[in-house]
Amino acid sequence: MKKSKWKFFSTLLLSIVLLAACSYGGDSATSSGEKENGNSTGGGPKKGGKVSIPIVADPTFNPWHPNAYAESNVINRVLFSGLTQPGKDLVPAPDLAEKWEASEDGLEWTFFLRNDVLWHDGEKFTAEDVAYTFNEIVLNKELGANNASYFQKLKEVQVVDDYTVKFLMESPVAALPAYLSFNTEILPKHIFEGNDPWELTSFNKKNPVGTGSFKLKSYTSGQNVVLERNDDFYGETALLDEVEYKVLADANTHVAQILSGELSIFALDDLAALERIEKAKGVTVEGRETTRFFWLIVNQTMEKYQDVRVRQAILHAIDRQNIIDTVLKGYGTIADAGIAPALKEYYTNDVTRYDYDPERAKELLAEAGWKDTDGDGIVDKDGEPFKIDFEIGIQGDLEAVSQMVQQYLVKVGLDVKLNAMEWNAMVQDVVVNRDYEMSLNWWRYPADPDLSAYMHSNSIKGMNIPAYQNEELDKLLDAGAQASDVGERKAIYMDAQKLMAEELPYMFLWYPQEAQVRVDKLKGVPDLAFGDALHYIHEWYIEE
Amino acid sequence: MLRFLLNRLGQSVVLLLIVTVITFFLINLAPGGPASTMRMEASPEERQAMIEKLGLDQPIYVRYIDWITNAVQGDLGISFTSSEPVIQRIIERLPYTIELTVFTIIISVIIGILLGVLSAIKRGKAQDHMINFMSVIGLSVPAFWLGLMLILLFSITLGWLPSSGVGSRGADFDLWGWVSHLILPVLILTTTVLPNIVRFTRSSMLEVISQNYIRTVRAKGAKESIVLYVHALRNALIPVVTIIGVLIPRLLSGAVITEAIFGWTGIGTLIIEAARGRDYPLVMGVTVMITIVVVVCNLFVDLVYSRIDPRVKNV
Repeated sequence: MKKSKWKFFSTLLLSIVLLAACSYGGDSATSSGEKENGNSTGGGPKKGGKVSIPIVADPTFNPWHPNAYAESNVINRVLFSGLTQPGKDLVPAPDLAEKWEASEDGLEWTFFLRNDVLWHDGEKFTAEDVAYTFNEIVLNKELGANNASYFQKLKEVQVVDDYTVKFLMESPVAALPAYLSFNTEILPKHIFEGNDPWELTSFNKKNPVGTGSFKLKSYTSGQNVVLERNDDFYGETALLDEVEYKVLADANTHVAQILSGELSIFALDDLAALERIEKAKGVTVEGRETTRFFWLIVNQTMEKYQDVRVRQAILHAIDRQNIIDTVLKGYGTIADAGIAPALKEYYTNDVTRYDYDPERAKELLAEAGWKDTDGDGIVDKDGEPFKIDFEIGIQGDLEAVSQMVQQYLVKVGLDVKLNAMEWNAMVQDVVVNRDYEMSLNWWRYPADPDLSAYMHSNSIKGMNIPAYQNEELDKLLDAGAQASDVGERKAIYMDAQKLMAEELPYMFLWYPQEAQVRVDKLKGVPDLAFGDALHYIHEWYIEE
Repeated sequence: MLRFLLNRLGQSVVLLLIVTVITFFLINLAPGGPASTMRMEASPEERQAMIEKLGLDQPIYVRYIDWITNAVQGDLGISFTSSEPVIQRIIERLPYTIELTVFTIIISVIIGILLGVLSAIKRGKAQDHMINFMSVIGLSVPAFWLGLMLILLFSITLGWLPSSGVGSRGADFDLWGWVSHLILPVLILTTTVLPNIVRFTRSSMLEVISQNYIRTVRAKGAKESIVLYVHALRNALIPVVTIIGVLIPRLLSGAVITEAIFGWTGIGTLIIEAARGRDYPLVMGVTVMITIVVVVCNLFVDLVYSRIDPRVKNV
């Protein structure tokens, strides 16, 4: 009897060991780093090594797939290539397209493609792939492709010859090259043709074929994605042997792993852990400019918020610098309008500014008719107290920031009820149903100053969530979107920023800087936000 | 016996049906559907396209009937987020959670019984107090906190153990890599179940020791070790078997937190991904699977119990 018990236990143990050894899809991550090639290029960057990057969920290897979120973007821009990419100055730079030109009327853009590009399966990349990606996927409304909204003015992509394509527009879009550098990578026609692009799991989930500097080596769901160098890459061959993306859902684990040397680089969302990382040896945190702005919005379909003085009062009431210094640990600068300082050519701060001035806020509210007549500390008008429902999604430091905003607004006599919700529930209320009164969030946009999508009156059903309408701003935004001359655009966007700051379609809070966490031995990463720096991953290297 | 089995089977089917109805309506009625999981920038047209594609424009009861009709035929549907069959995603992840659970049970049972017996035979003494004190601590400390503290100590400060992951599998399997990744998550899960086993064994042992037949054995002059380990323990362990059945659901729920902290790619992380992504078919699939596991475990315990304790009869 005893013998048989032991036999049972030992068999059980043995089977678990065997199960672990044999199953789980076989070829998962290997630790590399000490591979044979060691071709050093003199005293400079060395070949070899591996970087590890965290992602929070399983990726989808298709940049246009509606389920391709941030965790997919950071992989797809390494696996695939776009026609353009953000330059190191964020101005669109050549990638699959060597050069491009717009017709005089701005309705036709011609892109001249490289003729030396191979897909990871050895097939040649041609203009047909570009035309297929846009005509069959992006412009197919039934598919609802990611980022298709950037191409609403695109009628069709025409193949001129094997290495030339024409983008035919309904109206001029000066930002087209910038849009083409933002999560809009090209897919291989020879694999997708005849298939539903979202159902092709053999590609989207298993075996993607791109043109980028790295190709897929292995993918284990819930665990990791390992890319290996693509030696047939059309540009400079990458220095690293491998790039590993580790699926780690918990942000605390990211911090723990960079401190223990198991991760190499990422952008820190919640700055609460910043001090701990800054103190650690072998890890550096650097601030990087991004094309993002944080905003506070009020629903301008409601009458009380249509008065610009109310919006100005709210902004005067908030000590933005204090929030930046405390919650954001200094990683940000006060925003006056929507165009971020990262867009150096277009940015200006020579506009109306709203310093922290609670007294001025109260004056503006009083001018708008909101006074504390009953002495209860809350301003009122026609017997109605000024109550605000403030809905936000829980992510990063949004909640901490919103709590401070709430306190500041209470101080000037606004009765603010904060409701921090699960992210998807917030999107449902604020973005989909527009059933909200006040919210706080951010936009990230391609490296171009065209903010029509966020503020133009014809985007009210789209991303103009505050439902702001102003003919003068519409005209400026239209002119900026259509002007092809950089000098002319600059002048237009200077005026547009002045108007934005005056009118506050959004109550602009700050331009956040990305806190980029990186192990010191990782070199060659350009001074760009993490997402943009990934376009240059072939230049990264490890210095032991 | 056959009647008992059929009876239990019937109950299980009803239970499973109730669980699927509740889960289906809860997840479908929760604010923020799959179309809200899209990027904030997605246009109303993009969101509508997704709703139609996933069939979410149908009334909820129609969707439930569709789902249950397919489910009884063994088709748990296609995952919204990955477009792969739900069953395939579960099969991919299940071995990892089984691995974690089996090791936790083996370790918890061995240590738990030893400590429980020690605590019982040293009743009222320092060892007993110490074991009781540690049990209370183990029951009270939240797993996520303890997990983070252990990572801080063993992974960051000492650098002995990896902070997350499951180690290399398949062709690159290395034993230490595997074991080192297992240690911390198993330790955390063990702390959630070990105190129960210790306390259960202790009270069961104390009860048996006070029985007349133990007095008789002692009166016959048997050695104390024989009295305890041959006569008392064997009988004391019978109720302990039942608690293992109760612990399995607890282990599965504990696995959700533990797997998230340690990046362990099991069912726990899968259900978090599914809920976050509003992947309704996947949430349903995992729920059905976990319900079946729990029902089967309980049934198994009932059957085993009647085998090892002839006084318990399943009729």
